[in-house]
Formats: sequence, C-alpha cells, structure tokens
Amino acid sequence: MAEHAISIRNLTKVFPIPFRRERVVAVRDLSLDVEPGQVYGLLGPNGSGKSTTMKIVLGLVPPTAGSTQIFGRDSSFVESREEVGFLPENPYFYKFLTGEETLRFFGKLCGLRGAKLRERTNELLALVRLENARDRRLGGYSKGMLQRIGLAQALIQNPRLLVLDEPTAGVDPAGSREIRDLILDFKKRGITVLLCSHLLGQVQEICDRIGILHQGVLVREGRLEELISIENQTELILENSTPELLRQIEADIAKSGARIVEMRKPQTTLERFFLEVTSDKK
Amino acid sequence: MTATAHKFFSPARIGAIASNTLLELVRLKVFYFLLIFALIMIGSSAFMVRFTFAEQFQVLKDVSLGAMSIFTWLLSVLATAMLLPKDIEDRTLYTILAKPVPRLEYLLGKLIGVLLLLLVSTLVMSAMFAIALYLRQQTVIAETMRTTPPEQVAEAIRNIKASTFTINLVPGVITIYLKAALFASLTLFISTYASSWIFTILISVAVYIIGHLQSTARDYWLASGDAGALTKIFLAIVSLIFPDLQLFNLIDDIVAGNAIAMAMFLKTCGLGVLYACIYLLVAYFVFANKEL
Amino acid sequence: MRTLAVIAILLIFGAAKLRFEQRLTEEHRAAYFHGAKLNLDLRQQVGQLGFIAALSGFRALVADVLWIQAHSAWERTEWGRMALLFNTVTALQPRNVMFWDVAGWHMAWNASVAAREDPKQPREALRIKAQREYFQLGRDFYERGIANNPDKYVLHDRLALLLRDKLDDHCGAAKEYDLAAQFKDAPEYEKRFAAYELSYCEGHERDAYERLLALYKIGEHEWLPTLLKRLDYLQQKLNVPPEQRVYIPPEKSP
Repeated sequence: MAEHAISIRNLTKVFPIPFRRERVVAVRDLSLDVEPGQVYGLLGPNGSGKSTTMKIVLGLVPPTAGSTQIFGRDSSFVESREEVGFLPENPYFYKFLTGEETLRFFGKLCGLRGAKLRERTNELLALVRLENARDRRLGGYSKGMLQRIGLAQALIQNPRLLVLDEPTAGVDPAGSREIRDLILDFKKRGITVLLCSHLLGQVQEICDRIGILHQGVLVREGRLEELISIENQTELILENSTPELLRQIEADIAKSGARIVEMRKPQTTLERFFLEVTSDKK
Repeated sequence: MTATAHKFFSPARIGAIASNTLLELVRLKVFYFLLIFALIMIGSSAFMVRFTFAEQFQVLKDVSLGAMSIFTWLLSVLATAMLLPKDIEDRTLYTILAKPVPRLEYLLGKLIGVLLLLLVSTLVMSAMFAIALYLRQQTVIAETMRTTPPEQVAEAIRNIKASTFTINLVPGVITIYLKAALFASLTLFISTYASSWIFTILISVAVYIIGHLQSTARDYWLASGDAGALTKIFLAIVSLIFPDLQLFNLIDDIVAGNAIAMAMFLKTCGLGVLYACIYLLVAYFVFANKEL
Repeated sequence: MRTLAVIAILLIFGAAKLRFEQRLTEEHRAAYFHGAKLNLDLRQQVGQLGFIAALSGFRALVADVLWIQAHSAWERTEWGRMALLFNTVTALQPRNVMFWDVAGWHMAWNASVAAREDPKQPREALRIKAQREYFQLGRDFYERGIANNPDKYVLHDRLALLLRDKLDDHCGAAKEYDLAAQFKDAPEYEKRFAAYELSYCEGHERDAYERLLALYKIGEHEWLPTLLKRLDYLQQKLNVPPEQRVYIPPEKSP
C-alpha cells in the first residue's frame, strides 16, 4: 500500500493560558489521512483548529499528543518538509525583495542553486503569470499578485504536497478562477493538495474529500459527493427536449412513488457570467 | 521529483538567510549614520585648532574611536532586536520554516547577516578615520616643516608620525567589533524571549551598563570576606551571568600608548567569540521549541 | 521550565568562565590596561553622566573634555581649578604620559611663578610658601605618573628637570636621569645629564668624574661645552695629576 501523503494520528493540541488555570484545547484526538493525488478540503469555523492542525503537520508547532507524518516522515523532522510547499494565509514575504529575488531566496532554502534555480524561477514566474512584475518589490504587489507569488514559492522545489491556507481569500473573481484552475492542474499532475478555505462554493468545486472541524473535533469526513449528495434525490439535466417528452416524464413520475421537487431552467453561475462579461477576449 | 537530497547542515541555506538579512538591513538605509560619524570626526578636528599636535591627534582618535564604539554597539542592538519580532509578526517566519530549514540555521543566518553589517560598518568607519588622521598628520607635518629649524625637522616628523598611527590601533578596533558582535548574539537571545522589541533593547542596554561593572563586582565578590550573605549572592549572580565588558575596552589605553601582546589579544578575542557562541546556543535552546 | 534551564546554562558557563576572566583581567592589568581609578571620588568630580560614560568605555573622551576645560582654566589662570581637573584627568587616563607631563609642568613652572608674584598676597614669605607648594604639586604629579607608567622614560626626565631647576636637588636629579637612561628608547643625553648633575652632588665628584671621562673618551661629538666645563672643574676639584688630565679645548668665543 502506498504511503499516505499526510497521516494524522490521535492528534491533540492543548494551549495553556499563562497565569490561569484553564487551557484551550485547540485540537482533540484528530485522526485523518490524505491520499497522494487527492485534493483535500479542511473546513471549519474560525477557531476550529484548522490552522493549528496545519501548523502541526508542517512542524511549526509541536503536538501535545499524537503524531503527524508527511509521506511517512514525522513532521518534527526537518526533512519531512522537503516535499511540502506551503502557502500561508495573508502571505507576507519580505516586502523589500522583488518577485524574482523572493523565488530565488526560497529556492536556495530548498537547496536549489545556479542554473537550475534560474530555470525554475523563470518557469514559475511564467506559470503564475508574474513575469512582468518580476523586478518589482513585493511591497508594490496587489493581493492577487501576492497570492500568486506565494503559490510560486510553494512550488519552487517541485513538492509532492501543497498545503494552502485560504488561497483565494480577498482575491478578485478572475484571480480566484486562475488559482482554482492551477489547483486542478496540480491535481492532474499528481500533486496532493491540502486546502483550507471559508469559501465553500469554491471548495465544493475542486475538492475530492473534505473534513469538517468544529471546536477541535473532526465531526464529518469523507468523499465530497457522498457527503453532500441528497440521498433520495436525482438531478436530471436535459438538452433539446420537447414539451411532449417533458409531459411524458411528468406522467411517468406521477405514476411511480417519486415526486418532482423542482423543474426549471438550469442557471449558469454568477461567477461564470461575471467572468464572461469582464474577460479581455471580447 | 524533489530538487536535492536534504543536507543536515547547509552553508548555502545559512548563506541565503544571512545575505537576505544583510540586504534587508542595508535597504533600511541604515548606512546613513556613517554620514553622522563623518561629521563628528570633522567637527572634533575643527574644534581643537589651538592645541598642540599631540593633543589634536589624541582628541581626533578618542572622538572617532569613541563614536565607532557607540555606533557599532547601537547598530548591533537595534538591528538584531527587530529581526525575530518582525519575522514573527509578518509571518514570514512560517514561510521560511515551512521549508526544510532547521531552526538553528535560521538563527545562525540572521546573526551572520548582522555580523556582516557590523563588519562593513566598522571597515568603512575605520577607513574614514584613517583618512582623517592621515590628513591631519600631513597638515601638522607641513606646519612643522615651516616652523622648525632644518636640523631638527627629521626628528620632529618622526615624532609626529609615531604619535599618529600605531599598529596597536588595529587590535583596538577589532575588540570594538567583538564587543558589538557579542551584543548582537546577546540581543538575539533576548529577542527569543521578549514579546516586544522595546523590551529587548532595554534589557540589552541594562546588560551593557552592568557588564561594565562586572569586573568590579567580581573582584569584590572573590576578595571580600565580610560582606553580607545577600550582597555576596547578588555579586555572585552579577559575576556569573553578566559578561565582563571591560575586557573589551582596550582602545582607551591603546590610544594612550599601550601595546597589546598577540597572545593576550587572541585570548580576549577567543573569549568574545565564546560569549557570542554561548548566547547563540541559548537562543537556539529557547527558539527550538518556541510555539509560533 | 525552559527559563530555569536557560538560567542554569548561563550559571554553569558563568562558573566556567569566571577563572578565565579573572586571569585575563590580571594579564591585562599587568600590561597596564584598566588602571583607571573609577571610584566615588571620580563620580563626584565628573558627575553622573560623565561617570557612566567613563564606565562604559568612553573614559578617554571624558578625560579629553576635562583636559579642554583645564586648558580654558589656564587661559583664565585658575590654578586651583586646573589642579583639580588634572587630578581627575590623570585618574581617568593614567597611562597617558602627556597628561602627567603637562600637569606637572603647569604646576611647577607656571602656577608656581604666578604664586610667587601674586599681587594679592603682600607677604613675601607666604608667596614663597605657595610657590613651594606648587613645586611639590608638580613633583607629585610626576611621581604618580611614574608609578603608573614604570615602562616609560619621559616622566623621569621631567622630574629630573624639576629637581634640578626648581628644587635645586642635583643628587635627586642625577638619580632620575639615571633611571631615565636605563630605558631603551631614552635619548642619548639622559646619560650625559645624569653625569652633569652628579658633578654638582656633594660627595659624588669622583663618580661623576669617571662618568664624564668615559663619555669624553667616546669621541669628539661628546665634547659638548657643558661636558668639557664640568670635566675641567672636576679635574681641578679632585686634584687629578696633570699627566692623567685630558685635554680641554678652550672655550669657543661666541
């Protein structure tokens, strides 16, 4: 059996409050697995322990109990981070560096050098479409540009796993679309993605599995389709149908025990409509 | 598909962080203080015109080296105090540590960045000082040649040259640098604890003052037999925990004419380096398990 | 918990470095470093800020500032204030020979003259007494300077001059010139001056004669007017037999 991309076992994290007797239990006995090649959505309200879990997986915070592993290597080992790229929420990089310098800096931290580093930097700047801004300091980047450079640095060492914290928060619809397309592209290339987001509509679009955290406990987990499909309903979308066909179907349904809940014209999403209207390809 | 196998200890990673730190500090336009240094030096010379040349050289040296001393120390404390809090507040620390970078290398990289900044500043100030001293020497020599009878000129010039540059100024400047380096390491250690950079700076200043009294406290503690128990404990704590900064204050006596033997100089340097290493180690000890 | 561990590490390191620091400090002191007396007297003299500055490695600067003040005091002929400032400056920078040198000179040569001719003091006896006190002050500076700088010749030379010119103590002057002459970097004339002063010292004429003779025999470049004059005088005083006397060329007319 291939190893899990991320393996969390009985993870518990307790934060003591200084000068008080109480403690905050941020994560309580959490166990979950993320398989290679999946896009996994970790959801939950603010304070549910998502950020803490991510930080523990990335080795930034030590667990109180339990363990986390990345591709079989414990998170407390520095080597485990070789295969991970992390895009933090509100990524702040060094504002005084240019886009290119930022990528080169993080590349060096991952062990890249010389020609290879140069190639990779150029590749990524092209991928996230920031070539025109490569010599501009990050202090002058827009939010969307910061997210994109953030993605680029997360990918600098060709990781097998990406951990993305609110990748589309605060980004305009066009940029948001781009980022989501990129994530789907990563999935096609076999990169595992762990995603945290509040924008549930977007999560629904790209995730295979989700886990919902509430007050540090995993309350629901599983394949997205299974979780949100309404068990006893079926959606049927027809094209080029005739009124007679529709009457026929209604009659058949009335004869069986089923009931028509709703029959209407499907709608495109507001997002797609907006993008069509505002795209430059007119 | 990963780029390279993980190296346990990578000078390249440390180098990346160090040069990044240096770049950040330089882009803060911190080097403008060198202009102030130049002004101070020039100002002191203008002030002393009515005095003998020996007095002029002395004041120029004392002012320049005193300014160099305070500036390098200030730079070391201020530059270092901001490093960790800024990275933590801006969350750039997360992005860095999410890469395969051991925390020790991160600290080492930051410290080396500051040490490089201090090195460049010290070298530039030393060069400025040397030029100012040389120009003053030339002025005095010209003046002397005009007013001294010919058979005494050679002797007079020899005297002038002897009282300007002495080789012992070099180890003097190195000890100034070492004191600043020690403080950079110490400040880094304090900043791993402190939640605000103001606190870090205040503690560093306190250590600066107490450190200069440590030798007095130590002498008193080791010698006196009849001090109260509480006093003895207090003196013991001061002697053990604080560095003896007087050991790095050699420049005053060097300017007055003291020579410094190589063995003694190397021991002093060794002590300074040792202090810096210990503080770095304790900083790592605190930082390694710090909750971010 | 971690805090305790950190304190423990620092204490252990502290214990380990304590001996080393102590020995290194002694080594420094043996090489004449850290000789400044930074005590409460100093605190009184330089004030709080000056004291902290002196403590923190700006000793030299504080001394220089006070030195400049002494210079201003000289221009206003405030001899008492000068003496006070000189004391503080030399306490701060005991290894700076120039400070001792100039302080002694101001006291023994300038202040003393001012005291001797003080228009505000009608009684001559008291004026002479004040003058002698300044001589003593000057001498004191030189002697303390020598104690702090046993590795330099300059203050021996200055003290000798004071003994010779102001206190009429030729034997003492000879001793100081001798001490000065022992240093490798001392000028040549120290030996000669020692011999001259010895020639004025009662009971040491034979010794002086032998020294001057040895110098004379080195060569013509040693035949300076004073040397020849004293040699001549001693030859006569000691009744040296004519065949042993050396040739004294006649005094060149100016």
